Amino acid sequence: MTAQIEITDVQKHYGNFHALRDITLSIPKGQFVALVGPSGCGKSTLLRSIAGLETISGGTMRIAGEVVNDMPPRKRDLAMVFQSYALYPHMNVRDNLTYALRLKRVPKSERYAKADEVAKVIGLEALLDRYPRELSGGQRQRVAMGRAIIREPKAFLFDEPLSNLDAALRVKMRKEVRALHDRIGATSVYVTHDQIEAMTMADHVVVLRAGVIEQQGAPLYLYERPANQFVAGFIGSPAMNFVPAFTGADGRSVTLEMTTQACLPIDLQVASDRPVTVGLRPEHLEICAPDTDGAFPVTIGAIERTGSSCYLFSEEAPEIIIVTDGATPVKQGEVIGLRIRPERVHLFDRESTLSLRG
Amino acid sequence: MSRLLRSLRDGIGFDTLLIILALSYLFVFAGLPLLYNVIISFQRVDVFSLGTLWHPFVGLENYERVFSDPLARRVLINTLIFTLGSVALQFTLGFAAALFFHQRFPGATWFRGLFLAGWIMPGLVVGVLWNWLLSGDFGVINHVLRSMGLIESAIFWRSDTAWSLYAVMMANVWYGMPFNMILLSVGLAAIPDDLYEAAELDGANAWQRFWTITLPMMRSTIGAVLALGVIFTLQQFDLFAAITQGGPAGSSTVAQYWSWELSFREFDFGRGAVISVLMIIVVLFVSLIYVRSTRAETRL
Repeated sequence: MTAQIEITDVQKHYGNFHALRDITLSIPKGQFVALVGPSGCGKSTLLRSIAGLETISGGTMRIAGEVVNDMPPRKRDLAMVFQSYALYPHMNVRDNLTYALRLKRVPKSERYAKADEVAKVIGLEALLDRYPRELSGGQRQRVAMGRAIIREPKAFLFDEPLSNLDAALRVKMRKEVRALHDRIGATSVYVTHDQIEAMTMADHVVVLRAGVIEQQGAPLYLYERPANQFVAGFIGSPAMNFVPAFTGADGRSVTLEMTTQACLPIDLQVASDRPVTVGLRPEHLEICAPDTDGAFPVTIGAIERTGSSCYLFSEEAPEIIIVTDGATPVKQGEVIGLRIRPERVHLFDRESTLSLRG
Repeated sequence: MSRLLRSLRDGIGFDTLLIILALSYLFVFAGLPLLYNVIISFQRVDVFSLGTLWHPFVGLENYERVFSDPLARRVLINTLIFTLGSVALQFTLGFAAALFFHQRFPGATWFRGLFLAGWIMPGLVVGVLWNWLLSGDFGVINHVLRSMGLIESAIFWRSDTAWSLYAVMMANVWYGMPFNMILLSVGLAAIPDDLYEAAELDGANAWQRFWTITLPMMRSTIGAVLALGVIFTLQQFDLFAAITQGGPAGSSTVAQYWSWELSFREFDFGRGAVISVLMIIVVLFVSLIYVRSTRAETRL
């Protein structure tokens, strides 16, 4: 598989601010890549650098094999869907869709035939003569997508395209965007701050923080083998519990630094008496009797029931969140035991925050 | 009684009161004088009958006398040239300046603000200023043109019948350009950046972005600026008074100046009123365009 977008050691400076550091990323043709991270992490800057709307300060950027460092956006043959949709307010849907073709001097009849075709794909046939101001948020979103696919570009760039939609529509469009990507076999780069969107849509997730790629890989790989504490906490919802601990004398267990000083068995060999941070996913914790072997006790401080599941918040510090079955019969103030399979315990070095699972 | 008070305070009573207040102000201070002006245009008013409210009606006599005046043709052409020329130049220069200051460079907004200095000056002051610049013997303009080798001998801008109108036009363009620039700058700033970015990714070069995004998005602003430009240019009086006084030999007399001359120099208020009535019709028509384009603005 050839790389459609190849980013090597890319840097971006705004004055003294180092917005992107040593970004290296290879996106094969046909892949759906999500750039995810908290706000200000550089994900939008990276996307805009790919688009050419920002010039990079160092490194190389290749699109379909060609170095595009100094190429203006209009020559890069990329399509972008903006967070605001950026539809042309003075043009109706048909003209919005065919604007790029008009610039290429495609004859009108051909242009409009193409618009009809694309409108069918994205379900806008009835709206071709409307103006953007006459459309709902979801419809505008579709026009923005249609405007991108009509061009058959080298790649699609999405800048948080679903963030202005309500929750239900967002879930629906998530599926549609991915289905569209698969149908036209496009290469897509998708920026989002929502890790659920990244996890559900992408083939490859890139987690950024402060201009640095913290980890990249398949969604489930990031979930199962986070490279550091930041990725572990960012991927997964609710977020992973972190408890300070010391490894045991034998290096096969950890002692949690909680009031109860409980000892958890682990499935890997680590140095003894080392300060670590233990990561426990809320959905991996099982409730048992407080005196069970290998379990640690917590007192339930608060309970949130959503019907399908139940979120328990411990009273201890640090707070432990547990996600269980909606029908779990627990009460506030009750002391319960928690256990976890040794292979599901995540260990991070307390200094470097890197995972000890390598 | 309390019901009346309550309706005055909360109900439509209060709204009606506000409307009546605004309307009566407009009627007394704008409507009545306008109406009186229209009536006067059908009456004979001279310096002896000026003191009376009502004057003898003479039908269309004033209109006939205005149109048969040998100066009428000259004034009409002058007014057309002055208005269209001023508006066209103010607009293009203003638009160019607005586009220039729309580029992000240090101090851009500051410099743009400085440009307004010309616009806030009183017209008579601007007129005096341009008198010096335009002066035939020692004016800067002649000096510059001569040192660039563009002219052989001095042009007497204000006293040459071929140049007098354009002398005032030059001053007027300078005077009105900043206003055009500011309004157009506001229009430019209202176009979201992401539209340009989307167009750029769609393959539009700078020229295509200007024609397909900037201009159509500015349509209502442009309509308003042009309409206001025509209205303000038709109101321009100070510059004529300060620079040429309509002369020499009527070569720079425009409608508004002629109207003033007839009324207050020749004390023929009937004919002066005729010209203002004709100008009101033109301005009303232009105002209609202005209102329509600002209405389109709110719809977008």
